[in-house]
Amino acid sequence: MPETPALNSLDIGKTPEQLFAERKQRISDAVLLKQPDRIPMFLYMGYMLAQMGGIKNKDLYDNPAKTRELLVMAANRFQPDMIVGAWHTPKPSEALGDRMTNWPGVGLGPEGSFQFVEKEFMKVEDYDDFLDDPSDWAIRVYTPRVFKNLEGLSMLWPLGMWLYGYYNTLNFAGLTAPPVVAAFEAIQKAVQHTVEWIGQLAASAQELAGSGFPPIPFFNTMAEAPFDFVGDTLRGMRGIFLDMRRNPEKLLEAEEKVSRMQLKYAISNSKILGLPYAFFPLHKGSDGFMSLQQFEKFYWPQLKGMMLKLIENNITPVVFYEGKWDDRLDYLADLPKGKTVGFFQNSDIFKVKKVLGEVMCIIGGMPNSLLINGKPEEIRTYTRKVCEEVGKDGGFIFSTGVMEMYGSKPELVDAWVDAVREFGVYK
Amino acid sequence: MAGKLTKLLADLKESEAIEYVNNALEKGTDAGELMTEASEGMGIVGQRFSSGEYFIPDLVYSGEILKGIVELLEPKLKGDKQKEAKKLGKVIIATVAGDIHDIGKDLVVFMLDVNGFEVFDLGIDVPVQTIVDKIKETGASIIGLSGFLTLAFDAMKETVDALKAAGLRDNVKVMIGGGQIDDQVKNYTGADAFGRDAMDAVKLAKKWTGGN
Repeated sequence: MPETPALNSLDIGKTPEQLFAERKQRISDAVLLKQPDRIPMFLYMGYMLAQMGGIKNKDLYDNPAKTRELLVMAANRFQPDMIVGAWHTPKPSEALGDRMTNWPGVGLGPEGSFQFVEKEFMKVEDYDDFLDDPSDWAIRVYTPRVFKNLEGLSMLWPLGMWLYGYYNTLNFAGLTAPPVVAAFEAIQKAVQHTVEWIGQLAASAQELAGSGFPPIPFFNTMAEAPFDFVGDTLRGMRGIFLDMRRNPEKLLEAEEKVSRMQLKYAISNSKILGLPYAFFPLHKGSDGFMSLQQFEKFYWPQLKGMMLKLIENNITPVVFYEGKWDDRLDYLADLPKGKTVGFFQNSDIFKVKKVLGEVMCIIGGMPNSLLINGKPEEIRTYTRKVCEEVGKDGGFIFSTGVMEMYGSKPELVDAWVDAVREFGVYK
Repeated sequence: MAGKLTKLLADLKESEAIEYVNNALEKGTDAGELMTEASEGMGIVGQRFSSGEYFIPDLVYSGEILKGIVELLEPKLKGDKQKEAKKLGKVIIATVAGDIHDIGKDLVVFMLDVNGFEVFDLGIDVPVQTIVDKIKETGASIIGLSGFLTLAFDAMKETVDALKAAGLRDNVKVMIGGGQIDDQVKNYTGADAFGRDAMDAVKLAKKWTGGN
């Protein structure tokens, strides 16, 4: 594929070190609601990388060297300020017999697309055990349900017995049962794959840095709105929606538990990594899922509480507002100014700017469909409007609404990035 | 004429509705009649969803209450079932190949059903050929394709192309829906229309079958 660098006169003659520093500054200014030299751009390439490289989606995981090469090529062609390639790898899931995800080549054809398989892994009758001792329930009941190759963990004795010190060692024969041994071996394998993937990511970050592209600090610590946490990985959508009617008290208690646990995790993880951000992909709180009354009871206070606690700890929540949040923007307007980042998928981005422009840095603005089936001129006109209205006074990072660019045509992405360089420079 | 059960179901009074059905059956009320009342209740739930009074958790709950009622009624229904109301038209609904998202699809199925359409729900990750075969089998005139992934746009396009290849394209109207769907995607896939939500699907289906 020929490299056709986008219109790039703004950066001619700059060294990678200079570009690296400028891009980092641009992002950091936008996050702090300042006005950078121009509107920064973020590209989440995903499976578009495979399309550009003429390989199958599955090959992105099987041939990480190729993936890295394609990512640098895409970065050089489009010249964004931040770029991401493939989301994780199926290899740990494969080793664990993961029933919760499907990947190209693992549960799906080689051209498939990563999908989360939501099931009722926690039954309504499990609430009491879960609330009584979540960690023990997580290891001995939940994990064997989610991961086929970890079923042996169900043979362990209650984890709390480790509090028995020396006397607990008398139970150790239980660790020799073949299913238990097999489970620990599967975990070892998954760990190995994870470490290898992290090695690839580090190598990729280094290659990108060499070309002047800074790493993205946002996504290394992940947390969920308490409602989503209980809904996504425990009760499933049907289960949690019924709990809202039949077991509201238990649901709220569970939210409280997962909220405290996640905070503990997010605060310590972001400290260890030295990256003061926590990423929240939101799922079931958007317009249409639940009423505002339900939102006020089950969703928003718990999420906001977590965000405030993180902010207290100098961590910036980067929140992906999936779906539409047009009816809920006033709630978001209550968040402390300049202390969170909002990534918007399908919300009316112009309305978002009006309501939240002074509250949070806004990411998003480009509908994926326009990059799939639009016309270059149409993209230019739309980009100009977004630059002028949403980009006004800074605090904006231009990106696609979906964190995945599969199906986008490279020449339409060219049209977009060119237009941002034309209309996105602050005077 | 809305009966007591209709109101209890419409208001999502689960335990009261179940208790009412148990008492009514004991008193010898005809199970078919109760079934009709329950269906009317679901119709009201659908209306309240359309008007923004009810949301997805409420629909899920209403379905669960209905399930409990049907379990009580089924053994008493003497083969005659409930009086089959005249259906407005046949609609095939599927989440396209490669995509396993079902929330939006299930809502559309629910809303079309309570609005009087005969709905054939083919489920998720449905191969193109299955849809073509189902059109031939049922003679359905409306196809609804659902998809959440950006990847689904291609599967939708392939499905529409397959309808053309099978010589069926002129016999059916195709509507698409899902998180990312807009006019651009509609043009890309060759569908006749797209809907932003389940109410749009009902409007389109009514328009295409000459209803209002």
